[in-house]
Amino acid sequence: MVNATPSLATKIGKLELNYPTLMGSGCYGSGEEFAPFADLSKIGGVVLKSVTRLPRLGNSTPRLVHTPAGMLNAIGLQNPGIDWYLERELHKYANRPCKIVGSVAGFSVDDYADVCRRLAQRDEIEAIELNVSCPNVASEGETFGCYPDLTARVVEAARATTDKTLIVKLSPNVTDITAVARRAESCGADALAVINTVRGMAIDVDAWRPRLGNVTGGLSGPAIRPIAVLAVYEVAAAVKIPIVGQGGIETVTDALEFFLAGATAISIGTANFTDPRIPQRIVAELEQYLRVRGVGSLAEIVGRANMGISNAHQYEGDEG
Amino acid sequence: MALLDLHPRMHVATVLEHSEPANGTHVLSLDAPDLARATRAGQYVMVVPPSGEAAATALAIYDNSGNRASVLFFVTGKRTRELAAVEAGDSLALAGPLGNGFDLSRGARDVAIVAGGVGIASVWICARELLARGARVRLFYGARTAEMLVEAQRFADAGCELILTTDDGSCGERGFVTDALARASMPQEILACGPSPMLRRVGEIARERGVLAQLSLEETFGCGVGGCWGCVVPLVASSAQAPGFPPADAGGSDVVYARICKEGPVFWAHELRW
Repeated sequence: MVNATPSLATKIGKLELNYPTLMGSGCYGSGEEFAPFADLSKIGGVVLKSVTRLPRLGNSTPRLVHTPAGMLNAIGLQNPGIDWYLERELHKYANRPCKIVGSVAGFSVDDYADVCRRLAQRDEIEAIELNVSCPNVASEGETFGCYPDLTARVVEAARATTDKTLIVKLSPNVTDITAVARRAESCGADALAVINTVRGMAIDVDAWRPRLGNVTGGLSGPAIRPIAVLAVYEVAAAVKIPIVGQGGIETVTDALEFFLAGATAISIGTANFTDPRIPQRIVAELEQYLRVRGVGSLAEIVGRANMGISNAHQYEGDEG
Repeated sequence: MALLDLHPRMHVATVLEHSEPANGTHVLSLDAPDLARATRAGQYVMVVPPSGEAAATALAIYDNSGNRASVLFFVTGKRTRELAAVEAGDSLALAGPLGNGFDLSRGARDVAIVAGGVGIASVWICARELLARGARVRLFYGARTAEMLVEAQRFADAGCELILTTDDGSCGERGFVTDALARASMPQEILACGPSPMLRRVGEIARERGVLAQLSLEETFGCGVGGCWGCVVPLVASSAQAPGFPPADAGGSDVVYARICKEGPVFWAHELRW
């Protein structure tokens, strides 16, 4: 008998995905840009680039620097603002062969609530990601995601505006990511995206100045994968809501680390810049991995590597 | 389920020939009929690194003919070093053709092409097409040394008038290619590709002399297909190439950031605000 195809379908709040692969916000445009190179019907969904209340010009250049095993970016939330976005952009995203998740960024609690409410009213949008963790906008940008109380206020305010699935994207640039995760959960988040980019910088040693126009940037790519795997592992132990794991996923092995750490779905960003066929390849190889092991569905392996965090207590009395 | 269905602009191409016209300069000739057919002057491809261990590399499409498309590049770092190790018979995955190339529709009869270093890779198809329609084509070509003036003979053989410069004076004039351009009689149009300081100077000369110039820009690319807004350049908001949404921050601005990979890589010099 031929083994049945294992199920890769997954659910993030009310968002049902045929495949457990989202394309990371800001990395995949609206999906349209990648359509000539990749099969959008073989991915779970696209998380759109973050939109803000007012139009934003974005950061000065250079905005990207390639670094060992990764990339620094500081785009600065360039976007047309919610008015234009709703009137002129969003209708283009209807009838995509995959799910569309909106992304909201802001500079005040009211910003988030207002943009979230207006975006969520639209049928093209099936779920909303709250980007409380963009490291590349002056002052306030990341502040929300760095403080449990501020995150709580944003999530509460956004929650009051919609019943659609709310995913809160967490910053890794914090002392205890689980504290932020718990508050987001208790304030009504349906899911958590773990993690946004890690703050970093690069310096031009000939010009004696930072290489990014914005001075600092967000690091992505395989360089941050172990940081992200740990964050997912810790957050999974701290909350009950689903986690979208992300950070440097390039292969099926990378993806499996995140599922085993506790992610219900994954998000792929920078890897699309290496090869737009990667998301499709991961899905095919994931299916094969499960089939070979006789596992009927992806859900069965989520969090299976979780065995707590070893700590000094285990070695009490041990001189070594 | 097919593991990797190929999409219209994603190609897996066999390397037919790998030549090294100068030390550190490589030309890969690829069996890529769809790519060759679709390519217009000034477009590029994103080449997937064979190791899969870095971002894809944006390379100008140097030449296209029949089933063949070729890329010409300098080894400047880890990613191009990896591509330089590719051998005939290997296959490469690449996306393209990408970007808006040079606009050759204006029918100029006297054109100056300005190329700096590896910028030469973006202008061969231009030269070929302009010559084919009977235009006078002068190639102002600058490089560090005589050896780095790769493919110059090919342009000369095709009928271009060559004005060569090198940093060390080992071939042609010693100095900047833009100084040679500034002294020359002005063409009807200028097409240029090279390092940013060269392109800025070409833009100034064009403005001073009242000539239209098209500049092919280079910047660090992220996705290369318009999805990440990483490779931008300030452009007047009224430009036909400006991305179609409001430019302003709350304060208002007549400049927008356009994507070099998508709206470009070729822009009108007088519309750039860089």
